[in-house]
Amino acid sequence: MKILLAEDDFASRKFMDKQLSRYGECDVMVDGEEAVDAFMMALEDGEPYDLACLDVMMPVMDGYQVLKAIRDIEAQKGIPKSKRVKVIMTTALNDERNVKMAFELGCEAYAGKPIDVEKFEKVLKKLGLI
Amino acid sequence: MAEEFNTESMLDMFLYESGQLLEKLEGIILEKQDADCFDDADINEIFRIMHTIKGSSGVLMYENITKVTHKLEDVFYYLRESHPDDVPHMELVEKVLAVSDFVTGELDKLKNGDTPDGDEKQLVEDLDEFLGRLKGEIKKQGIEMPQANRHVEPTQFYITPVAGDDSHFYRISIHYRSDTQMSNLRAYSATYALKEVAEDLLYTPDDILSNEASADVIVAEGFHMLLQTKSSKEEVIALIDSSEAEEINFDELTKEEYGNALGEFGREDAVPAPQPVEAAKSDEKEAKKEGPKPGDYVVKTKEAGKGKTLAKNQPKQQSIISVNVEKMDALMDLIGELVIAEAVVLQNPDLKVPGLELSNFQKASGQLSKITTELQEVIMSMRMMPLTNVFQKMRRIVFDVSRKLGKDIELEVIGENTEVDKNIIEHITDPLMHLVRNSVDHGIEENAEDRTSIGKPAKGKITLEAKNEGGKVYISVKDDGKGLNKEKLYQKALEKGVIENKPMSEFSEKEIFRFITLPGFSTKEEVTEYSGRGVGMDVVVKNIQSISGRLDISSVEFEGSEMTLVIPLTLAIINGIVVQVGNSPFVIETASIKEFVRVGEDSLIQEPSGEEYIVLRGECFPFIRLNEKYDLPDSVNKIEEGIIVVLEHEGSQVCVLIDKLLQEQEIVVKPIPSYVRKVKGLSGCTQLGDGSIALILDIAGLLMHDGERR
Repeated sequence: MKILLAEDDFASRKFMDKQLSRYGECDVMVDGEEAVDAFMMALEDGEPYDLACLDVMMPVMDGYQVLKAIRDIEAQKGIPKSKRVKVIMTTALNDERNVKMAFELGCEAYAGKPIDVEKFEKVLKKLGLI
Repeated sequence: MAEEFNTESMLDMFLYESGQLLEKLEGIILEKQDADCFDDADINEIFRIMHTIKGSSGVLMYENITKVTHKLEDVFYYLRESHPDDVPHMELVEKVLAVSDFVTGELDKLKNGDTPDGDEKQLVEDLDEFLGRLKGEIKKQGIEMPQANRHVEPTQFYITPVAGDDSHFYRISIHYRSDTQMSNLRAYSATYALKEVAEDLLYTPDDILSNEASADVIVAEGFHMLLQTKSSKEEVIALIDSSEAEEINFDELTKEEYGNALGEFGREDAVPAPQPVEAAKSDEKEAKKEGPKPGDYVVKTKEAGKGKTLAKNQPKQQSIISVNVEKMDALMDLIGELVIAEAVVLQNPDLKVPGLELSNFQKASGQLSKITTELQEVIMSMRMMPLTNVFQKMRRIVFDVSRKLGKDIELEVIGENTEVDKNIIEHITDPLMHLVRNSVDHGIEENAEDRTSIGKPAKGKITLEAKNEGGKVYISVKDDGKGLNKEKLYQKALEKGVIENKPMSEFSEKEIFRFITLPGFSTKEEVTEYSGRGVGMDVVVKNIQSISGRLDISSVEFEGSEMTLVIPLTLAIINGIVVQVGNSPFVIETASIKEFVRVGEDSLIQEPSGEEYIVLRGECFPFIRLNEKYDLPDSVNKIEEGIIVVLEHEGSQVCVLIDKLLQEQEIVVKPIPSYVRKVKGLSGCTQLGDGSIALILDIAGLLMHDGERR
């Protein structure tokens, strides 16, 4: 599976990269804009990502903007819901309103930091990724 | 799901919401426990509650909760769709309560930061079996089977962060030796090492790598770090390279201090620390009243010398806010101080200069008094909460205990909307629970025949009543059971040795009833699961006394008993009378004063042992000379010259001798500081208008002390 990881904090990035690399090829981005670029590029190459893990607090574009951009691009290209990239937000912003907003924007899961690795894996299973 | 104004974390929200739903559920169940079946509205409501909890627990992935609520939802789905007759109502009620208990238990675990690991298997099996029978019943009654309840698996998940409640907060300052080369790199290596364990790390100066001049700053001013981590102090110290360091200061901070310190480190609008529950809350409260939008959390590129900042929206006005209880308490304390300060100004000795023109001052001070009084009322009303929730719990207890004991009992609740201070609610829940349990267990007769044979209805009745009267709250638990037997109580008390060996006639009825509140007393021969261990009533009384309330007991044998908790509405400000003994002012709570009298020497009875009594209108009261008790010089010693105050507490009376009355005023009760040894007969102190300190007499303590002396 192809994974897109967007995370600006080095320690978290390294940790997530390590975790996610177990499940597939993981591309690592350091800001929101790069993440959208990477998503576009993969889509155009016909090798879209299966999973995107987005941090919220990032330079240039935040995770919610990236999520929205991704969903907008998918809608524009007419990608069916089942084929959409699965998005997991990874952030320490656990306000119920933030979580709700992310769900409304169309993410599949919202993982509070520090991330519960066990549950994370469970969700990947539930999402049919592994 | 939730109101817009809420800034709680996702988990808090789930706990709060599910808690509310479960309370509602119990309310429905207990209200309908005696009915033959639930009506449609109830079934719908229970279905909806189960559906909601199932849904949200699914999103948060608490699978055992999801499974159990899912099953119960199924049961109610069939009830809703098919309306079968002859549903075993009592069994259904029990099933619902079992589920409710299970979920409550799991929620409690979550609240304590534990994993909800309760085993749901047995419960799910029971429910399955019940559902199977229900379906069979539906078939038998020839009702068309509804389509199976379709469950939509949640498609979105929330992964709760690993519990981070045990985070520590440190402030670390490193001062390097003045000849240290490249101190900025040393500082960097320290931050690098700490990043391994840090949940949050901030340091100043923060441009240590990009700005070589920072090395000089570090040498001159030291290198300061703020660290949030789960590691202990020792572990953190081990990580820091201490060579070249002249001094390392290491302070552990509380969460609040840490939040404040974030500001010093250049995070004006602090990035919420990666700590889920509370850390973010305080920092964020003011900042984000409006819902977040994509783009709110773009991390701006760092400018040299500045920490990370977040772009945020301007706050918008809200009509309701949730306030931290600590802040409310702080406000309450401040208002208390204000009342004192007001008294200090208005009764200032400077104003007593003869011939002073004060009419404008009086007008202004009248206005001031009015405002402070209103202020007090407003803060009080903000802290008021209805007793509804407490009473709800009592319903459950009556239900549980009466079923266990096989007694048929009806509970009547009166005045559950009575509002009392939040502090009081916290203090009365346990005592009240005890009283209710006692009533069910000891109060109501074992067998229905015992009741019918003396002409009482077979069904026992317990009445729970709350009312507000004259600044006090009365909460009574009344049963129509067998009542208290004075003879038995007396014998028992003698046997247990909890009273002195005096003939029964020397005790008043009230005194005999009060035996049950003595430690180590229990009249029930057998100890049951619920009561009878003889611990309890004394604890009840202690709890109630701690909020300066009292317990009244009245009872008529064979007709029932009534236990009444009498609690002052507010705790911090009382209405008191200031009196003087020698040179010391004392305060007596107005409500406990029965009368002031002047008597002659002939009313005084002196026993050979030194005890003194005062005879008033043929009644004899114990007499305490405050001046002797507290060794106060220069006071009135002849009782004709002083004033006798008759005080009452829980039905017992005592007389004290004072020199003179000073005034009546609102008294803000302050605890006696801990460095003063606890003095019997005093419950607190306060500051008077002239700035002097007055001690507040504790009538219960005086009586107790008096009793011991004898």
